[in-house]
Amino acid sequence: MAERMTRGGFAQPGSAMAFKTGSWRDLVAPRHLHGLAPCAGACPAGEDAQAYLAPLTNGDVKSAWEILVTANPLPATTGRICHHPCETACNRGQFDEALAIHAVERYLGDAALHNQWAYPGIPQTTTEPAVAVVGGGPAGLACAYHLRRLGHAVTIFDALVEPGGTVATSIPPYRMPKEILQAEARRILETGITWQGHTRVGSDVDLDELRREFAAVFLAPGSQRTKPWDVAGVVPAQLHDGLALLHTWMEVGSMPPWHKIAVVGGGNTSVDVARALKRCGVEEVHLVTHNGLPWDAEDPMRAIAREVRQAMEEGVVIHANCGAERLLLRGNRIIGVVLVAMKKMRGADGKWHRHGFPGTEQVLMVDEVIPAIGQTVDPSGFESLLQGLDYFDVDHHGRMTHHQGLYAGGDARSGSSGMASPAIGDGRRAAAAIHAALCNNPLLPEKQRPLVPITEMHLQYFETAPRAEPSILPVAQRQGEAEIEQSLTARQALDEAVRCLSCGNCMICDNCWTFCPDQAVLKLNHTIQGDGSPYVFDMAFCKGCGICANECPTAFIRMAPEQDEQG
Amino acid sequence: MNNTAALRDMSSIRQQQSRFEGLTPGHRACQGCGQALAARLVLESSGPDVVVANATGCLEVFTTAWPQSAWTIPWMHSVFSNTAALAAGMEAAFKARDISTKVLAFAGDGGTFDIGFQALSGMIERGHNVLFVCYDNEAYMNTGVQRSSSTPVAAATTTSPAGIARTGKRHLKKDIVAIIAAHCMPYAATASVAYPNDLKDKVRRGIQTPGPAFLMIHSPCPLGWMHDSAKGIEVARLGVETGLVPLIEMEYGQQTSAMPLRRVRPVVDYLKPQGRFRHLFADDPMARQELAHLQALADHNIAHYGLQESQPESGDSHAAASVRRGTVAVVPPGAV
Amino acid sequence: MLEPLEGSQAIAHAVALARPGVVAAYPITPQTHIVEHIAKLVADNRLRCEYVSVESEFSAATVALGAAAAGCRAYTATASQGLLLMAEVLFNIAGLRIPLVMTCANRAVSAPINIWNDHQDAMALRDAGWIQLYCASNQEAIDTTIQAFLLAERLELPVMVCVDGYILTHTLEGVSLPTQEEVDHFLPPYTFAHTLDSRQPLTLGTMVAPDHFTEIRYAHDQAMYQALAAIEEVDAAYAGITGRASGGVLEVDGPDDARIGVLCLGAVHGTLWEGREQARNLPPAKLIKLRALRPFPEAALRQALAGLSDVVVLERAFSPGAGGIVAAEVCRALYGTSTTPRIHSAVMGLGGRDIPLEAWQQVLALAQGPSRGATVILDLIPDHLEDGIA
Repeated sequence: MAERMTRGGFAQPGSAMAFKTGSWRDLVAPRHLHGLAPCAGACPAGEDAQAYLAPLTNGDVKSAWEILVTANPLPATTGRICHHPCETACNRGQFDEALAIHAVERYLGDAALHNQWAYPGIPQTTTEPAVAVVGGGPAGLACAYHLRRLGHAVTIFDALVEPGGTVATSIPPYRMPKEILQAEARRILETGITWQGHTRVGSDVDLDELRREFAAVFLAPGSQRTKPWDVAGVVPAQLHDGLALLHTWMEVGSMPPWHKIAVVGGGNTSVDVARALKRCGVEEVHLVTHNGLPWDAEDPMRAIAREVRQAMEEGVVIHANCGAERLLLRGNRIIGVVLVAMKKMRGADGKWHRHGFPGTEQVLMVDEVIPAIGQTVDPSGFESLLQGLDYFDVDHHGRMTHHQGLYAGGDARSGSSGMASPAIGDGRRAAAAIHAALCNNPLLPEKQRPLVPITEMHLQYFETAPRAEPSILPVAQRQGEAEIEQSLTARQALDEAVRCLSCGNCMICDNCWTFCPDQAVLKLNHTIQGDGSPYVFDMAFCKGCGICANECPTAFIRMAPEQDEQG
Repeated sequence: MNNTAALRDMSSIRQQQSRFEGLTPGHRACQGCGQALAARLVLESSGPDVVVANATGCLEVFTTAWPQSAWTIPWMHSVFSNTAALAAGMEAAFKARDISTKVLAFAGDGGTFDIGFQALSGMIERGHNVLFVCYDNEAYMNTGVQRSSSTPVAAATTTSPAGIARTGKRHLKKDIVAIIAAHCMPYAATASVAYPNDLKDKVRRGIQTPGPAFLMIHSPCPLGWMHDSAKGIEVARLGVETGLVPLIEMEYGQQTSAMPLRRVRPVVDYLKPQGRFRHLFADDPMARQELAHLQALADHNIAHYGLQESQPESGDSHAAASVRRGTVAVVPPGAV
Repeated sequence: MLEPLEGSQAIAHAVALARPGVVAAYPITPQTHIVEHIAKLVADNRLRCEYVSVESEFSAATVALGAAAAGCRAYTATASQGLLLMAEVLFNIAGLRIPLVMTCANRAVSAPINIWNDHQDAMALRDAGWIQLYCASNQEAIDTTIQAFLLAERLELPVMVCVDGYILTHTLEGVSLPTQEEVDHFLPPYTFAHTLDSRQPLTLGTMVAPDHFTEIRYAHDQAMYQALAAIEEVDAAYAGITGRASGGVLEVDGPDDARIGVLCLGAVHGTLWEGREQARNLPPAKLIKLRALRPFPEAALRQALAGLSDVVVLERAFSPGAGGIVAAEVCRALYGTSTTPRIHSAVMGLGGRDIPLEAWQQVLALAQGPSRGATVILDLIPDHLEDGIA
């Protein structure tokens, strides 16, 4: 329609809204893309720390915990013993200091126990087929819990009386108080799970029987058999296994009356044994490991850095990148061990080997050499499944190859690191796989989101802030079962949540809304389901300049090739 | 959702925005226009009870292609050089009619430093209650990027091009704020689009000042400065962080504040992303000299305005733009 | 009762009677007395308005523009160089259809610099889109100024009231000022349909592209033509209250049987009148006082000049290389009519050169002589010419 000229050429306010500058966009448009934060990408239990830290920034502790337990039902436990790869991956570590996710996880777990919160989203009744879980450790408990969430009836069979598995038997109380683990395990069982303790598969109940009675079986018996050990073909006459010593100490509280001991191994058990020895009055405790220290870039030992640090504080001497080359014997009696410097190198065959370097030998005069080098699955009862292997061969979802209805996870599965949080992840994934199989649903792959590296973040928008550190018992007071690390205070936990950089996710900073020169970013008074932000793009006016993406601190907004508008 | 429904939805969302939209979308500014952003921020902080006198320039052209207007406040454009006088006339009328509406004057650097300067000086001298906002993009952008007295030394424009015998503009940027401040000026300040909260605070202070106030807003022009349209805020921020664009306030001729620089960046960080300074990175003694000149000017600013801070503070160049997740929550009762 | 007032004073009083809200003032000879007198009225609290002493004519015009757009009756005065400096804003005011009134105390334009009277300044701005009314006396200056406000506001067009610098502005004359009641009755309070108002926002001064620019110009042109009738009506209405008219768009005086006509603008009308009175022996002639140069009253002019054989157009300005400006316009107005008189273009009184009573004889001689074909400067002094110029 022809426009009729106005007197003097005046115009009505805001009438330019009729002019849709969105048509100016050239190929690219801003999009919200909820990327994968490195912490979430690294969490073996499948936690999204960012998601539960969000309500915590508003002081909503309960919601934070409820989000956390959608993945991990044992946060007070993992919040104590996890090796927290989330913090290693945390982008903030490259900005100032990584977020204390581990400590916040524990804070939430402790808060839930203190307040006796029940798990959300557990169906009142069981509507799905019954599943047997073998092993009541982290993997078994997690699998049972997730199956309950999905509506299944679950029975756990365990050789021990109490749940908790290796966490209960092998982690000293100064870092994993028994009552915490038991409280969390009890809360899981209280979701309606049948606990069949003191029942060993193979002797007390037959696997085939379980397979007949239950629609599916999840095997998480853990690794109970000590790996064979020798030094240049020599085995001490009276071999003291590290894990067995630890069990004894945890049950009776004492160790043999030694003066100087070398512990061999690079995992958490070796560190726990060394620390237990120190607590029992052994004057010199040496820890010999092929690996580097946990914080070394190259070939770090598997033990948790925090534990190694505390062990060193307590007087344990670490011999990193060293191997025991020879035992010094007088008759059958050990009087020392010869160490040699070692390095992991790629050999001519292309494989990694550890090489000892002649001329670097040193002698440690010790009363005993105690191996703590790990365990494998006890095959009794599972011989037909293992077929000579010392682990269960499973896929990513815990499905046992060639055995329908059988699933496995935890320390007993192929490629296990022997850590609790991967075991929890195993349980969760297996539960999903079991549920899908029993309901004849396709097993949907977990949603893949692109990882957000630090280089995509716009760090200029962040202020440095000190990391929350839990208070730690001074060395002099580390006695008996007293827990060494304390929980964060509520103030610390809330402040720590605010430190989260929110990598790849909207933190509602308003930058896009503020900086858009075309007011093409609008803000709602609520976050949008499935988007996670309260912002929408008014594409009728977006010219595609890219400022919103460039100024988005978290790389939540990205410029991407235009696609046809969907539905 | 079909297109029409989406549009209807957007317009109802737009009506519920928790900010005043004095400048609507649909304006014809280039992608990433710093001036469009600055103008919206100014009105967000001052509207709706304002009237704007606008000089000729991009802002006028891209907002008022008849029959459409992107302004929701009463707005008037006369000619290039008379903006301050136009605002003065409006203000006089409102005074005569006892109307409290605040008068704003908008002009670019050409309309402030050069052709509009006399009218501006007169307006200030007569004490009109007007906030004059200069959108400083450091050249005559609307007419095709010609140099103004605001163009920094060594910047290439179409009338100060770089060549074998010249390294861009040969003259210094006029210290307009000092000149304005010398009018016994109640309030004169500089702001940057990279610091919207600081900008809006300064607008509010200017609005609350009885009598004339002056605010100069450093507003990147992707076209004239030749940088990626996505980089406008980044470039503006670098301008501040290098010391080339000091954010200051002056009251009655005295400097009363300066945004301290948390981390002083070398001027090359600011110059590099901008095509108007590209020639300074040639392997050429003249270019090197001009680069050093710009660094010296930044250093001089830092000393002159006292921009170097002794320790981080809440209003410094980093903190003023920082964001955080959520708020500092109160510890809930009963929390352990 | 007449009171003796200098032209500037008289205009100042007329402006005050119109109750302006904003007056912008910049000193430019010879209008300076007007704004000085207004300043004194303000200082004495006899006029309550915002008196803005601007820093240039450019700003004077702009302040008046801004004030008028913001809802106030606004006024300023200028002359000569000042008017030319304002030129950009004056076109702008007219294009925006802003109602305001400005006095132009006509004066020569530099170089050479010369502060005395002629009409070159206003003639240069005749295409600015303003109504231009020329005053022949201080009384007319008073009455036209008051009428100008009504005209401007009714038509949404700016009005320039042209008064001869010095000859009127600095000369005492017995004049009659209307009472405030009469002016209030005649002139309603200021209104402007597009007033800047934050409760009803509008955008003024937009950019108009080629697809609509012609139409806005045409609408302006039409408004100017409609102003011809309005000028007559407003003059008549004013006469109804005060008993004085100023001559509408033009005024004709002289015997019906006259075959000669003399057309002029401004104060020279009085000189020619007196010259005619004193030279009774000369042939009868009509005097045509052109009050409205813009809009140009073509129809009225055709009627006024009907039956005449010779018309002298006497001007105080010309267009170098083209001659008399008004004469050319008169020719255009008469072009194609069946009984077109001979038009003689004459110029006198440039840069303040005195036009004596004897000018009447020169004008009549021109009318009776052969057609000269070009504009004649009647008071040229050949002895003053540079060598080599004929």
